[in-house]
Amino acid sequence: MSPLVNIIVGLAMGLNLLALGSSRLPSVIRAMAVQGVLLGMLPLVIETDFDWMVMLVAVVTMAVKGVLIPTLLRRAMRAANIEREMEPFIGFVPSLLLGAAGTIAAIAGARALPLLTEHADTLLVPGALASVFTGFILLVGRAKAISQVCGYLILENGIYLFGMLLIHSTPLLVESGILLDLTVGVFVIGIIMDRIQRAFDSLDTRKLTALRE
Amino acid sequence: MTIGALLFTAGVALLVAIVSGSSSPRCWLAATLAGNVAALTAAVNVLAGGEAWIWRGGFLVGGETLHFRLDCISALFLVLLAVVASAGTVYSREYWTDAAHPRSARAGRVWWSVLIASIALVLLSSNGLHFLIAWELFTVASYFLVTLDRQRREVRAAGWLYLATSHAATLCLFAYFAILAARTGTWDLGPMRDETSLAPLFWLALFGFGVKAGLFPLHIWLPSAHANAPSHVSAIMSGVTIKLGIYGLVRFSGWLPVPGAAGWVIASLGVVSAVLGVAFALGQHDLKRLLAYHSVENIGIIFIGFGFALIAARQDNATWGRLALAGGLLHVWNHGLFKSLLFLGAGSVLHTTGTREMSRLGGLWRSMPWTAGLFALGAVAISGLPPLNGFVSEWLVYLGLFDAVNSQGNAALAAVFAAVLLAVTGALALACFIKVCGIVFLGASRTPAAEKAHEAGCSMTGPMLLLAGACVTIGLAPVLVWPAMARTASIWNPAWSEIAAPASLGVLGRSHVVLTVLAIAGAVVLWKLANKHGLRRSGTWDCGYAAPTARMQYTAGSFANIITQWFTWILHPQRHEGRVMDTFPAQAHFEEHTPETVLETIVRPAGGAVMQLAGAARRMQHGRLQAYLLYLLLGLAAVAAVVLIGGGR
Repeated sequence: MSPLVNIIVGLAMGLNLLALGSSRLPSVIRAMAVQGVLLGMLPLVIETDFDWMVMLVAVVTMAVKGVLIPTLLRRAMRAANIEREMEPFIGFVPSLLLGAAGTIAAIAGARALPLLTEHADTLLVPGALASVFTGFILLVGRAKAISQVCGYLILENGIYLFGMLLIHSTPLLVESGILLDLTVGVFVIGIIMDRIQRAFDSLDTRKLTALRE
Repeated sequence: MTIGALLFTAGVALLVAIVSGSSSPRCWLAATLAGNVAALTAAVNVLAGGEAWIWRGGFLVGGETLHFRLDCISALFLVLLAVVASAGTVYSREYWTDAAHPRSARAGRVWWSVLIASIALVLLSSNGLHFLIAWELFTVASYFLVTLDRQRREVRAAGWLYLATSHAATLCLFAYFAILAARTGTWDLGPMRDETSLAPLFWLALFGFGVKAGLFPLHIWLPSAHANAPSHVSAIMSGVTIKLGIYGLVRFSGWLPVPGAAGWVIASLGVVSAVLGVAFALGQHDLKRLLAYHSVENIGIIFIGFGFALIAARQDNATWGRLALAGGLLHVWNHGLFKSLLFLGAGSVLHTTGTREMSRLGGLWRSMPWTAGLFALGAVAISGLPPLNGFVSEWLVYLGLFDAVNSQGNAALAAVFAAVLLAVTGALALACFIKVCGIVFLGASRTPAAEKAHEAGCSMTGPMLLLAGACVTIGLAPVLVWPAMARTASIWNPAWSEIAAPASLGVLGRSHVVLTVLAIAGAVVLWKLANKHGLRRSGTWDCGYAAPTARMQYTAGSFANIITQWFTWILHPQRHEGRVMDTFPAQAHFEEHTPETVLETIVRPAGGAVMQLAGAARRMQHGRLQAYLLYLLLGLAAVAAVVLIGGGR
């Protein structure tokens, strides 16, 4: 594994913190998009031999995560006329501190895991854990539906990073399958958001409590 | 006819009874009686030395082959079922009529037949799955019978408590039979005494069957269910259904190995049940509730016999083990007979006066001499006095205990304690029934309802006569029933061969006959003397007052007060009194109520705590998505922690 991989994953971890700390929706979407592009480049870096299949998947990943999904989200944001503020349940500074603590814990915890030696010295596993954790903080700590979509996407990026561990043994087709699922998921969430917007005149998930029982 | 044909006839007759119960009461009566007589004949055949009847059906029910077995153990209980059920069937014709209970009389007849059929199935089934099905059916049938009068709130509460406790017990039995099936690879049941790894399963059976039997700390459902059920249902429940708990334990401790401590635990639970059961009975003012607590006491006596039999089996000591087991098993019969007699008597009192409260009764022997006489006979029997059957079975248990005292080791010491406490129980039971007979039947009527009481009709006194006759027969000729008990004991433990009746049993029977003849002769002489000199009648309990009122008599509470004082540590009687402190008379009142201690101090608080926890857990369901996601995260973290800690495995 080249140091380049570690640099890319490190950058992605930094973007996690950026997403946690920003108070406005567009910047979270941007952080997520950049992270998607960075992770899309990973297979090209890891896979030393040139393979047109790998190339294709990498390009598609970058296109979907870096362009398609952010565009959809921005459009939804504009169409639903959402205020740009995040309305956090967990404040930005506590989120940041939690995220940082999670990142450190991920790095420390990854050493305790029984990993292959070739994976032990990369940031792949800590990066994956940190991204999953960040995704969760966004999901738990933010009220708006769009910010929750961002949370899901960052969580997915973490899972994608785990997938990178298996890049030598499993076909990338699996990864493209995950990507497809995710796209479908985003569409579904988009539709649901639209419905919520029409029914409640708001995208605030706190108002969903009216639906319990 | 062969046993199979007889049982088949019984089954068909009961089916006819179930079908005709709602439309044709006469057909139902005839069919139920016919079924009972057929079952009785089959069971007596087996007990009298016939071969055990084993039958395997050629088809599957619930994926399992039908497997029926009627050996001495099941025949013993089937005899009791047939006798008590016949008595109850006839009794219910007058006691729970269509005219008086238009809502429930039909359902009552149908469920009654279902109950009899399902109990018979429990006794015959030799397959774990079918046993469970029949067991559940019989629990549900008795629930519907208990709640026949469900317009009343306390009846519904009693029924619910019964259903809930029964299902907690049934859950244990499910676990018991399922584990058994998993270990042995088949649901089929039969002797498997060598598989010692199955021994710990006994504890599951003890809980499951112990609840049904009404063993002391597990008896919480019993008093309210027996008190609130219609009296013929109370009779069969107290007489037969609680014995199914005994049946289960005797049956499966005979087939499967038991842990070493089993006998000790059973015997100590038996002693506790016997003493505390009678103590609680003394504290009751409700006639049927009092009788219900005596069931706990008598189940305790049966368990003492059974527990010492288990100890003897452990120590390979056939002499006293056989005696203790035979005593316990005979007490199953005897208690079934005299307790249903007493419940039917209580039912007649309730039927004519409309109350179970003893302090509202009194002086009933004048208006209902048959009921009073038969009830008194039952009371003598349950108090374990000669010359009736209660004395015979308790005496066999005593014989077993005395022989155990002669042996060496811990069993001897335990037997001394058990014998002393058994004697204490007998004395307390006698005190309790003197109280019942004295308050209910003697003295002067306390209320107008008691004054207007009239004798029950012959379809109510007839069944009581039948049961009383059975009590007297066993009391006067105990040698007749010994072979059945000895044979059952040898089926339970094949190492214990059948032996002839102990010589003293014959002596006991003869002295009972002499005692009876002397008593009758004495009564005749007294009667003649009374006729010759004439009788002078006066008020009872007038205590020398010029103008006594019926309210001045001893009440149930005051009569038993001295004895209940000894047991306040467990009875916790609740008293509300307004004493007269001034010189001149003023209004005063006194109320006393003995709650069910185990239910009120243990089960109810525990239930309340569970409900509070559940309420708190319910607050977690609030509809906030973010918090649900947090639960997910915490759950994942917990699983991860378990995996990390579980480590290598």
